[in-house]
Amino acid sequence: MSGSDYSGSEFSGSDDEYVGPRGGGSSAAAARKIVNATLQQAKKSERKAQAWERRKGESSEEEEYIPTFEEIEDNDVPEQSIQQMEEERKRKRLRKDTKPFQRGIIRHVVLVLDLSEAMLEKDMRPTRFHAMIQYAQEYVREFFEQNPISQMSVLGMHDGLCIRVSELSGNPAEHIAAILGLRTPLNPQDFSKEPKGSPSLQNALELARATLYHTPSHGTREVIIVFGSLLSLDPGDVHQTIRACVRDRVRVSVIGMSARLKICAEIVNKTNAGDESEYVVATDQELLRELLLATTTPPVVRATKSAEEIAPPESAAALMMMGFPSRVIEETPTMCACHGALTTGGYTCSRCSAKVCSLPITCPSCQLTLLLSTHLARSYHHLFPLRNWAEVSWHRAREKGTKSCMSCLTPFPEVPPDGISGEQQTNGHGANGRIHGKVAQKQSNDDEEQKASESSRYECRVCESHFCIDCDMFCHMVLHNCPGCLSKLDTPAEETNGIGDMEMTG
Amino acid sequence: MNAIDASEHHQRVDESVPPSLLAIVLDTNPHAWAHLSSTLPLATALANLLVFINAHLASGNGNSVAVIASHSNKSCFLYPTPAPASPQPRHNATNGDVDMNGTADSTSYSVQDNPNKYRPFANVETGILNNFAKLMEGTKESHLTATPTTLIGGALSLALSYIAKATLLNLPATSSTEEAMLAIADPEATHSSYVSLASRILIVSVSGDLANQYIPVMNSIFAAQRKRIPIDILKLAGDTVLLQQASDATGGVYMKPERPEGLLQYLMMAFLPDPTARRSLVMPSAGGVDFRAACFCHRKVVDIGFVCSICLSIFCTSDLPDNLCLTCGSYLSLRAAQSNPPALIPKKKKKKKRVGGTDSATPGGSTPAGSNTPMHS
Repeated sequence: MSGSDYSGSEFSGSDDEYVGPRGGGSSAAAARKIVNATLQQAKKSERKAQAWERRKGESSEEEEYIPTFEEIEDNDVPEQSIQQMEEERKRKRLRKDTKPFQRGIIRHVVLVLDLSEAMLEKDMRPTRFHAMIQYAQEYVREFFEQNPISQMSVLGMHDGLCIRVSELSGNPAEHIAAILGLRTPLNPQDFSKEPKGSPSLQNALELARATLYHTPSHGTREVIIVFGSLLSLDPGDVHQTIRACVRDRVRVSVIGMSARLKICAEIVNKTNAGDESEYVVATDQELLRELLLATTTPPVVRATKSAEEIAPPESAAALMMMGFPSRVIEETPTMCACHGALTTGGYTCSRCSAKVCSLPITCPSCQLTLLLSTHLARSYHHLFPLRNWAEVSWHRAREKGTKSCMSCLTPFPEVPPDGISGEQQTNGHGANGRIHGKVAQKQSNDDEEQKASESSRYECRVCESHFCIDCDMFCHMVLHNCPGCLSKLDTPAEETNGIGDMEMTG
Repeated sequence: MNAIDASEHHQRVDESVPPSLLAIVLDTNPHAWAHLSSTLPLATALANLLVFINAHLASGNGNSVAVIASHSNKSCFLYPTPAPASPQPRHNATNGDVDMNGTADSTSYSVQDNPNKYRPFANVETGILNNFAKLMEGTKESHLTATPTTLIGGALSLALSYIAKATLLNLPATSSTEEAMLAIADPEATHSSYVSLASRILIVSVSGDLANQYIPVMNSIFAAQRKRIPIDILKLAGDTVLLQQASDATGGVYMKPERPEGLLQYLMMAFLPDPTARRSLVMPSAGGVDFRAACFCHRKVVDIGFVCSICLSIFCTSDLPDNLCLTCGSYLSLRAAQSNPPALIPKKKKKKKRVGGTDSATPGGSTPAGSNTPMHS
């Protein structure tokens, strides 16, 4: 698919040349229109757009697109705009803000799954329940990938009650097994947890609050509710529970399905200090997955919240005692402290020498947190995120004269000959035309909506290398490094990757 | 891009061995090679490496290779040859001419027409040798004095994004772009039946201390782990824990040969088998890997450390000056960290029971679960 992307883009480039200034001009106009649409949308939605808003924005954008698209088709250059739409969609997935916020790295998360009869709806395939089970497994895996020193527990809202699916622990395998057990029970005599009855938000919040009660104060306390039904059958006053959650510093995010509920909005609003953006509604399966996985990024620590009243001052930060055990390989099998199974290898606790099978883990005998230094390193990219790359105008592309992607060597579409089109574009949108120099450009559009680049090039603001869309996605979603910055010695690589002050030999 | 790759992803035969992409990161740090020059000169090493590359290309029709130099001042592709950027001034009247110039100097090297040489081998060979010569010519004395180390982080990042793109190009045409996007985000989720590109990275490393690139290299390791790309290490000189961890985490081979002059033998025996063949072979393993952490304050290797909850710095002692974190400067308290273990189930306080109280949590410190939570289980 992406292969065809690139061939398509090459064709479109040559088309531009043949059509001459007329074709170029109209595509520029189209590009401007798209930019306007996204700018409007960016204004409309806040830092984290709410789902219904975003959907609305998308649809209105499509309405904008359709005439533009047809208009372009008349001029025989549809490829350009299709490719731009494609790239724009890809780039939307990039994180909106890459400012290094203080984030709650040590998280305690309770994932609450809706197991009420509303989950038997078939608007997701095969049912909401099965879709949710599948995504929840994926979520657990991704969560521990991103947050190796965090803890999680899974609850289920089933038939008016809240059942505990898995205990608070840091072992992804346990959670996944438990979530799978909902669909197909491990023991045949276990009663099936097929969706049944009504959900109760109050019971869920109370049980989650109790689960998080003993967690140390330097970690976050989060509840993520996947809520499929449009009602909550509560035994008491849910507002009291909300107040209690606020007092216990529990932050609740709700991922709804099909429609927004007033009570969910209120829960989220109260527990997130007035910020309602944590309440999102998944209108389809894909969005549900996306929204769920979006919560694997550690939350930003709110500096403005009335921390003094809600939590004691020392809860802000703490020095945690941790053990960095060494791996042992034994001749004869011995029992491990975590499962009681006979194993020949493992890690011995640095304090009490109990043997555990895997890391990270809390030592079963002395409660010391045991992990590898690499687990800590895994969280660094949340603390020092890679800044988003800027779109490159034709003008800028001509200035730099790049022919292929810096990191994958895929050829870029050729720069059209300098002429009317280029000049128009630089006047058209100031953020792209780099007349104002590097500094102005650096400060601008950091928070802006990510959109497609007309020249299919994306530029790192620090090292000024150009990349293709696929490398842009890969570097921001998987690698978290800028290959350009790291490949040159004299660029200030610390700015993007924070090498300087965090150096550490593992 | 290159002839070998292009021929591959159009005519794929399903029952054949999966094509294999080998990305070689060659550490060309001049300081380290100068040390090695008595036993293994760089020219010999390069010749050995070319033989190895040819062997890799010969072992499968779809096999391809990418070579990246990790030099002291930059890291760049040796093969495939990147198209040089031809920057144009803003006001130029005759842009056509500039375009021609840009392409003109890239054609300065050409494949020698040796009828006795397999054409793909000759392509790779000339490409690598030309780019390598260019790299060495471009190295100034000031670059050498600036740093004694090498930019392995950048080279690894280049290799990983190159592999990611090659994997993406190798995917069968999917009906929707959505699936391809999923494939980018997490390869585990989308298991398909197609023969995927098996890629691996080989780092021929000669440099020692890489601590200043800890975070970029770590990020690369995690990316490789996520994409299931093994990183093989051939350590000719120097010693780094970092690269050892890289191969351990990604399931690659780590070798530190005692006699570097036998480079070709090591390459052929330990690093030629691709991931599919390795499953049925006994591969050399590193043995014990040092996982201990060094503290940020005294660089002591510690068993039990104290970690700042905000920036995850490791300290060897809990009494920091003013209880402030040395890295991020936030106030730290040890007391909060020593979390109390979960209390036992509290006894029901019957005298305090108030029906329809104003708040659902009991005042004081008792657990909220036991109070008037109604109807729970």
